Amino acid sequence: MRTDLLAILVPVLPLVGAIILASLRRKLSANVAGGLATALIASSFVASVVLFMGFDASTGGRTVHMLDWINVGGMNIPLALRIDALSLTMMLIVTGIGSLIHLYSIGYMHEDERAPTFFAQLNLFSFAMLMLVMGSNFLITFIGWEGVGLCSYLLIGFWYKTPEYNYAARKAFVMNRIGDVGMVLGMVLLFQRFGTLEYVSIMDMATGGMNDPLMIAATLFLFIGATGKSAQLPLFTWLPDAMAGPTPVSALIHAATMVTAGIFLIVRSSVLFELAPFTKDIILWVGTATALIAASVGLFQNDIKKVLAYSTVSQLGYMFVALGMGAYSAAMFHVTTHAFFKALLFLGAGSVIHALGGEQDIRKMGGLKGRVSLTLTPPSIRMDGPVKITYITFFIGTIAISGLPLMSSFFSKDLIMAYGFQHSPVLFGLLLFGALLTTFYMFRLLFLVFYGTYRGKAHPHESPLTMTIPLMVLAVLSVVGGLLNLPHLFGGHEPMKHFLETAADAIRYEHLGLSATTEWILMGITTVLVFATIAMAYGRFAKRATLEGAEADMPFFKRLIAQRWRLDEFYAALFERPYGWISTHLFTTVERHVMVPVMNGVGAAALAMGGVVRKLQTGNTSFHLLAMLCGMIVFLLITLMSN
Amino acid sequence: MIVALLLLIPFITALALMFLRPTQQAKNVALISTLASLGVVLFAWSAYTGGTVIHYNMDWVPAWGLRFVMGYDGVGLLMLILTAVVFPFIIAAGYGEKLQHPSLVNALLLFTQTFLFGVFLAQNTLLFYIFYELSLIPVFFFLLYWGGEHRRAITVKFFIYTLLGGLSLLFGIIYCLGQGAGFNGDFATIGALNFPLSTQIWLFWVLFLAFAIKLPIFPFHSWQPDTYAMAPLQGTMVLGAVMLKMGLYGIIKIVLPIVPQGVIHWQETVIVLALIGAIYGGIIAFRQSDLKRLIAFSSLSHVGLLCAGLFAWNSYGVSGSLYQAFAHALLVVCMLYISGAMKERVGSSEMGAMGGLKLRTPRLAALFLLVLVNAVALPLTQSFVGEWLMFAGLWQVNGWLAFAAVSTIVLGAIYMLFAYQRVMLGPDKWALEMTDATTRDHLVLVPLIAVTLFLGVYPGPILDLVDVPVQQLLSSLSLN
Repeated sequence: MRTDLLAILVPVLPLVGAIILASLRRKLSANVAGGLATALIASSFVASVVLFMGFDASTGGRTVHMLDWINVGGMNIPLALRIDALSLTMMLIVTGIGSLIHLYSIGYMHEDERAPTFFAQLNLFSFAMLMLVMGSNFLITFIGWEGVGLCSYLLIGFWYKTPEYNYAARKAFVMNRIGDVGMVLGMVLLFQRFGTLEYVSIMDMATGGMNDPLMIAATLFLFIGATGKSAQLPLFTWLPDAMAGPTPVSALIHAATMVTAGIFLIVRSSVLFELAPFTKDIILWVGTATALIAASVGLFQNDIKKVLAYSTVSQLGYMFVALGMGAYSAAMFHVTTHAFFKALLFLGAGSVIHALGGEQDIRKMGGLKGRVSLTLTPPSIRMDGPVKITYITFFIGTIAISGLPLMSSFFSKDLIMAYGFQHSPVLFGLLLFGALLTTFYMFRLLFLVFYGTYRGKAHPHESPLTMTIPLMVLAVLSVVGGLLNLPHLFGGHEPMKHFLETAADAIRYEHLGLSATTEWILMGITTVLVFATIAMAYGRFAKRATLEGAEADMPFFKRLIAQRWRLDEFYAALFERPYGWISTHLFTTVERHVMVPVMNGVGAAALAMGGVVRKLQTGNTSFHLLAMLCGMIVFLLITLMSN
Repeated sequence: MIVALLLLIPFITALALMFLRPTQQAKNVALISTLASLGVVLFAWSAYTGGTVIHYNMDWVPAWGLRFVMGYDGVGLLMLILTAVVFPFIIAAGYGEKLQHPSLVNALLLFTQTFLFGVFLAQNTLLFYIFYELSLIPVFFFLLYWGGEHRRAITVKFFIYTLLGGLSLLFGIIYCLGQGAGFNGDFATIGALNFPLSTQIWLFWVLFLAFAIKLPIFPFHSWQPDTYAMAPLQGTMVLGAVMLKMGLYGIIKIVLPIVPQGVIHWQETVIVLALIGAIYGGIIAFRQSDLKRLIAFSSLSHVGLLCAGLFAWNSYGVSGSLYQAFAHALLVVCMLYISGAMKERVGSSEMGAMGGLKLRTPRLAALFLLVLVNAVALPLTQSFVGEWLMFAGLWQVNGWLAFAAVSTIVLGAIYMLFAYQRVMLGPDKWALEMTDATTRDHLVLVPLIAVTLFLGVYPGPILDLVDVPVQQLLSSLSLN
């Protein structure tokens, strides 16, 4: 039927784009390749919108069967897509934000000689991400899951001449694979338990006792998978390194879409997680710890993209906190608004980097906003900065992520924090602290880049329209995104929650039981403290001409945080170097000095025995064997011929 | 007719090559021969409707009661397809190798193919054994005369080791024959031997040893890395892609029917050994500096998983193992071909002499990447289907074993990506002039990669082939 065909087209169009671009990568110009890639993902977006418009949420959703995939001995796993509220939400984010970032990339990558390859990989990523969110069973999601991992690897290491980038790419892939062990085991266990991997069937069948050990194991395994893909403790250290990739990649893959896959997976299987409160508690505390640790590191980073990367890890932590409290729709809401403002911030950062000819160190930026003057007659704002659009949109992104009143994150993050308060005031306190850290490092970034005086040597210039149009669209979305799930407090009806609950039953049971007064008070406290934090950041960074000294001069604890809690060094000492040592020594010691000599001993014994026999036979063993076998061939031939 | 063609096409071509020595045309002749065999096998596949197809069943040496029975069931057909599919590519890989006496080289390869077909067609134990040992002869000479450094010592080691296994198998078979299996040990009847458990417990190892060495399974593997590294490229391809699958096939056709209770008794031991090998090989592969030796250890790792999956003895494990056997054959040929292509250009397969080659050979890098995707078993490649089924099968045996098996996906990613980086990525530090992927490179790698991806998206044709025989095998096992 037509809707089925349309649903299939959504992932297939970017796949076709990837194949065409990869095969013609040497023949196409950067602009043609970029145009084609953008057109295809935009078509997917249009198809998604049409599907969304024609979707009747009351039906719950439909499954589009494409092909029997793995069908053997009682296992039947089809290649099938699921169209429901959850997948449609994700499809709109992936194709919508994806289209904007493809468009942006045309401007950002136009001078790169491998731009067609870049667009092929970006399209391939879109295909994989769409498979991930549209799959009707775990294994289809896993196709996308591994596909986005591959594209992430390729795009982080896109500039492959630099060994550090290749290392970062490998690190991302391997750490994701560690999570995948959990994901695979989780799927195997669920298959063993339910005899199917179809989401709908499993969620229907999953009933019964709380904290069934099997359910705890399955959900923990899935969560381990999620910590890899969504960069949570202990597997988050790959994400900051992933900033080695071109900035549009950081925006699309490492902020807006791929890293939210873990959250999507848990919402998809929310019924299972509802049956395993033990797992939910673990998710809650892992999320909180990640949110705070990453936010603390963000305070001291001097690379514009690294600040945003730690911010992403921290925001993902908030989403996991929501999941841990069973607030699945709140998590999805924050996934959506985060996709808007974090894509905006990354693209804005890309525009800054572009303007400064590749500079990423915020210590060498400053003053990019120029002078801003207000005139009242006629009422207008005059700016003489070199990157006006970039500045305004980046400013909007910053206030959006900080949760200033009525911005998108004001609604989505506050919802999570309100659930946190309902869970325990301590949790609320921690989340509030994290939110203030976020505000502080984001305004530090804003002030150091755009305020004060310019500390670099490049000649800043504004980016082309292909880059600034996405910035403007995302800025608007970052402001109004809160409307998607406007709470009752502001006269809304939480439309997103009610939409999503048609796809995930667990969302029906979400309930924020705080009184309106409590909510107003919490919101008031948060807002006042956020403004105070901004004022503090302004005082410290807005007028700076120089920055504080090197890490070595910092007091111990501050230095520890600035050095990213030394997690990378810790992992290197605990896993990476020992692994290399074991690999070397298993070969040079065990294999060379144990296995081989033992085998040679066996061989020598055989030869010695052969020597004894030889005295009786006076011949060459292998010759005898050969003769015997030749004889057999002759027999064989005779038999065949005589037939 | 099919059986006769499969045995005679490569055999007669090999004889002709050996005696006529058409040096210039040797490779072309061999290629045509293998393509003809492929055509025959594909025809057999299209005509196959299930069950065991017996083509010949006649007296061989009536005085001794020897019978000549040949045919195939789904599993045998899968092995025939595997052999027929990879051989044209193995021959084609020879176009890049400048080996002396190409007529003899190709003759030996075709002899090997004949005997491999024989192994997979044989329908009684004795014929199986004869072909099984015969296949060793041409490979022995190939390694001995065309191998690399230390070829004599390594080849002799390899030969003695496999021969020892073979003798053990022979002893086991003779024992069974003496216990009433009839002189032939017909596959149809050896399942009825019903040895007491105490016999099965030791007889299992007597029969299994040959296959454990052939695969090889840890700790019987130590002939393998040296041999793979020393052998001429095509020799390694034959060993890694096809010959080790004889071990898998032998376990299914001989070990399981004769000593089913022995198999159950030793099941966990074998799985543990196999998985130790899978992890051991995977860890060692990481720091190997020679690409070909890295492939040897990676193969050790993959084969460990294959054997573990097989010994899960449930439908997912066995189907997955067989499916993976096919995937592994194509993968090994691709990997080795790439190592050969790099050696052709750089002059050595040491990765220290490579790096940054993507700048010089972007197409080859892209092909390598596509092979790598299959090697680390990403979904929608053939390897993923096999691995997933094996994981599901192993879980039914024991969750911890499944955990150990699944952990190899991390090891694979670690050594493959590191190898890819050392060969292709980084700065162009050697600034060597070299040609990018040639037409021949494309003709070998593109079809193999295409098959890999096709069977990753649509594994039905192969899974259907093994599904019924595996079910029958397992139900007969529970009868015992």
